Amino acid sequence: MLWYKAWLETRWRFVFMVGSILLIWLTPLWLPSFGFRLPQGVPASKIWMGVHLGSVLLYIIAANFLAGSGVNSQTTYAAASGFHGSMFFTLSLPVSRRRLLLVRAGLGALLTSALVAVLAGYTLLQRPGGASSFEVVEYVARSIVCTMAVYALSVLMACVLDEMWQFYATSFFWMAFYLAQSRLAVIAWISPLRGMSLFSYPANAPMPWAPIVASLAFAGICLCASVLVLQRKEY
Amino acid sequence: MNEMIIAADGLSKSYDGKPALRSLHLEVPRDSICGFLGRNGAGKTTTLKLLLGMLRRDAGSIQMFGEPVDSEASSIAARQRVGFVSEDKDLYTFMNVDQTIRFTRAFFPAWRRDLEEKYLDLFQLPRKKAVPKLSKGMRTQLMLLLAMARGAELLIMDEPTSGLDPAMTEDVLQILADLAASDGTTIFFSSHQLAEVEQICDRVCIIDQGQAVIAGELDDLKADYRRVLLVFEGTPPHELASLPGIDHLSQRGRTASLLTHGDVGALVDRARELGPSSVEVRSVTLKELFLDHVRGE
Repeated sequence: MLWYKAWLETRWRFVFMVGSILLIWLTPLWLPSFGFRLPQGVPASKIWMGVHLGSVLLYIIAANFLAGSGVNSQTTYAAASGFHGSMFFTLSLPVSRRRLLLVRAGLGALLTSALVAVLAGYTLLQRPGGASSFEVVEYVARSIVCTMAVYALSVLMACVLDEMWQFYATSFFWMAFYLAQSRLAVIAWISPLRGMSLFSYPANAPMPWAPIVASLAFAGICLCASVLVLQRKEY
Repeated sequence: MNEMIIAADGLSKSYDGKPALRSLHLEVPRDSICGFLGRNGAGKTTTLKLLLGMLRRDAGSIQMFGEPVDSEASSIAARQRVGFVSEDKDLYTFMNVDQTIRFTRAFFPAWRRDLEEKYLDLFQLPRKKAVPKLSKGMRTQLMLLLAMARGAELLIMDEPTSGLDPAMTEDVLQILADLAASDGTTIFFSSHQLAEVEQICDRVCIIDQGQAVIAGELDDLKADYRRVLLVFEGTPPHELASLPGIDHLSQRGRTASLLTHGDVGALVDRARELGPSSVEVRSVTLKELFLDHVRGE
């Protein structure tokens, strides 16, 4: 039933993300009715580049948005009292905090993966010249794995910060990381952000194992840290 | 001697170096209704959270149902047998009554459908009504249902009647008394409402500044404690303070008020030697016991 609770808790976030993605995808259909036209002569590859960058940004937003994990997600910072009481109801149940976290984080990870899979597949299929099934599967898989690094950090942040600050802190971290990877080769080599990119690692190139392994390791560390934080936390 | 459902000893807890509990000793026997009284910030909620594993203690020990609660596993085992009603009565805002019941039911194999139906009928809780649309009284009722239908042996409640109107308060108290009488459920609840504690509790524990200052059977306490009022012709003599067996002394004008327990006769005899113009011995109410111990009035 923890899965059920996690789904009820997350479903509107998921619907919001699906709605946002659909809105972005459908934008080219309704923009012309407002008189907006793309300038003549823009190469299709350039338009696709924009679509791709937008998709990568959406991976990160989706991961951040769906990662309101841990019992802290039941808190609303009321004027004076601090924590919202439903957290106390959860903590009074005969369930370990580790299980509480893992179920909630697991469901969020599944939903994030589903969104990333659709986005990544769509993006690659839109590429001028198309893509083979193998390329799609390969790109979807590594996009999901690399997004899990973003997701797991958000889970960790959600264990120590309230939801608003979790979103800001994680976004700030990845912005700083993006700047760092353009200056330090070693960071660029293992960067999950580059792992998601079809420019850094085209779909028909060899699998970018360094970002994949680094993302998995980083996600694992963040998840373990989240469990430890939650187990030690006092309410 | 009754089996202790809750037995805490030397329980201490500090927040940022400021002590909230100081070597608290607490015992709640099986089948009792125990009121946990104290001023704001006395340490009541901290104690309840420690019992439920929401906080970690700095020192001391906790036993629940005769088993030590010293790890997450033992805390989970204890929580399997406990129903909890929090002060705010907040439940999941993304569920309705029925979803909340089904969710909670899944964690308790001994869930009693008969009690679920009984209390749904009694409280007239609409299954499909969303939790945010429930009044505070209805949320209290739903929390009581969730606590009772799980077949809990112990109900821990943090100010269960706060925010309820008098009629609803009376209903809740009646339900608790019935529950203790019919199902043998032990009830341990914190409250500021001395009248309601006096109404349904057979045992009280008064806590002040993190320490239990008085605890025991309510009837025994009332029988044991006495107030001795001494009226003097002039200002009461200073020697009063040195009389043996005084729990608390206060003076107002020519009148001295002594709270004592045990051998009242001996105290009265000694007090008469100080020459009061009148001596009166009265029984005490819970309110007097509470105020004398926590306010030092």
